[in-house]
Amino acid sequence: MALALICVGLSLATPNFLTAQNLIIVLRQIAINGILAVGVTLVLLTGGVDLSLGSVLALSGVAAAHCAHPGAWPVLVPLLAGVAVGGACGGANALVVTRGGVPPFIATLGMMTVARGLALVASGGRPISNLSRPFCFLGGGDVLGIPVPVIILVAVAAAAHVVLRHMRVGRHVYAVGGNESAARASGLHVGRVKCFAYVGCGALAGLAGVVLAARITTGQPNAGIAYELDAIAAAVIGGTSLAGGVGGVGGTILGALLMGVINNGLDLLNVPSYYQQIVKGLIIVGAVWVDRGGRR
Amino acid sequence: MIGPRAIAIAACAALAVSGCGRQAARERQGDGAPRAVIGVSLLNLSSEFIVLLKRAMEERAAEMGVRLIINDAERSAEKQVRQAESFVAQKVDAIILNPCEVEASSPAVDRAIDAGIPVVNVNSETRSAPSAFVGSRDEESGRIAMGFIAKRLGGRGNVVMMHGFMGQAAQIKRDAGAREILANYPGMRLLAEQTAEWDRAKAMSLMENWIQSYGDQIGAVFAQNDEMAMGALIALEAAGLKGKVIVAGVDAIADALQAVRDGRLDATVFQDAQGQGAAAVETAFKLARGEPVQRETFIPFRLVTRENAGEFLRP
Repeated sequence: MALALICVGLSLATPNFLTAQNLIIVLRQIAINGILAVGVTLVLLTGGVDLSLGSVLALSGVAAAHCAHPGAWPVLVPLLAGVAVGGACGGANALVVTRGGVPPFIATLGMMTVARGLALVASGGRPISNLSRPFCFLGGGDVLGIPVPVIILVAVAAAAHVVLRHMRVGRHVYAVGGNESAARASGLHVGRVKCFAYVGCGALAGLAGVVLAARITTGQPNAGIAYELDAIAAAVIGGTSLAGGVGGVGGTILGALLMGVINNGLDLLNVPSYYQQIVKGLIIVGAVWVDRGGRR
Repeated sequence: MIGPRAIAIAACAALAVSGCGRQAARERQGDGAPRAVIGVSLLNLSSEFIVLLKRAMEERAAEMGVRLIINDAERSAEKQVRQAESFVAQKVDAIILNPCEVEASSPAVDRAIDAGIPVVNVNSETRSAPSAFVGSRDEESGRIAMGFIAKRLGGRGNVVMMHGFMGQAAQIKRDAGAREILANYPGMRLLAEQTAEWDRAKAMSLMENWIQSYGDQIGAVFAQNDEMAMGALIALEAAGLKGKVIVAGVDAIADALQAVRDGRLDATVFQDAQGQGAAAVETAFKLARGEPVQRETFIPFRLVTRENAGEFLRP
């Protein structure tokens, strides 16, 4: 509802907002945050959190860029390399959380700096450029006028939705987040369910890293600083509970859209940079306030 | 939560790391002792320019037989002050400081000067006066880039400007330099300005949004660093507008140099990491031996266009 209000307001304020071209731009700009947000929704639903997203995205982007020089490998190799590196980071998070009993906040905070360090080591601190055309198509190309990152986001969101709503493991994710001891008492493999969530989240961060590297045509070890906060914000704005057990992918996508629309609208209106930050924060908090207030 | 075991492990790790520092001090007394030991605290080793600066220092130090102890302050002035303190404790012969912040890094300079150890600031300034400064005038880079744009536009047209992190020294000075030039050309108008936080992905989104609101009114883009210039360039190319818009950046990173040589990016401004790093080591070495030095050494910026891009590209 808040999203609709803001869109109407922006359409009135600037003639450039409500054009097909601009809406495609907004979709393209939210694709990366959207993919991350879908991933972190899985983890949030189990009652966990993942702070390592931005660093894992950078590490995966660097890994993919290493395999994406022209003439090196077919485009599937860097794509899978990025997703695999992300998945491995997620696996490490899951191991530390489930076996080590380390709180997710600390476990993924550790991964945040480890993955950032690895990204810097793997790249020597410098961006990796000279990437092949087919690889860059993943971030900059379009099919029938729809940008490839948007297609990827839609596919990811649809798959995650199906898994969460229609498959057993999805229902288990909700069960673990809703009441972990009850889930364990009823015989669920809580560790396995969490592992699924963290690995899925990491793999999606890896995918987002690949798309970002392809979009900006370099593997940047510094990319994605603080992206995890935007992703978590999108999920929470979309109604996913930080306490776990409540929420879903549909809301998360709406949350990401809201944030994208705000960014785009403030640029179109040429709001000065200092004020942009203030306005952005107020709109995000206000939007959630309006939505929750309406529901009560 | 944290038991004695965790503390013991942390203590062992700390001891192992500190061993590296002690080794440096020991090597001075051994055979083939270095002619001087210089402690270096760098702003941030995950920035490409600082990495180049570090390499230049290492090369020059190796040639001169000087030993460097290089620390990364990771953008934290507080960490930088601690590093300076440990250099003082290690009794290095001189310190090279690549300050994180004007005010907050000043205590690092004070601690060293108080202990009688000379300090060379490189690339940016602190409020406390060091023994010597080596760097460039950032305003000059803004003037050079905007001057290039003004010339290419024939002194008439609309410009958009992408800022770095608002409030950082480089952003403020590059902005000031660019505005000086704009003030000289009444036919040029600053159509829009916004921060993209030195970041390529953010610059791409910002450029897409600007294309959406201003379309073909934009005559030129000045980005305060090359990462943002590359982002703007990619967005303009995707929109099929690059032929009509001039794009200039600052820093001369490898990617931008290649783009200039390929005729995609119109210009960048070369900040001489090599020159700054080498001069900093030379100055610090002279100070360590008590020789006289120039208080300020300015390494000039240079405009890079398609004609001269080749000479800046390193294989």
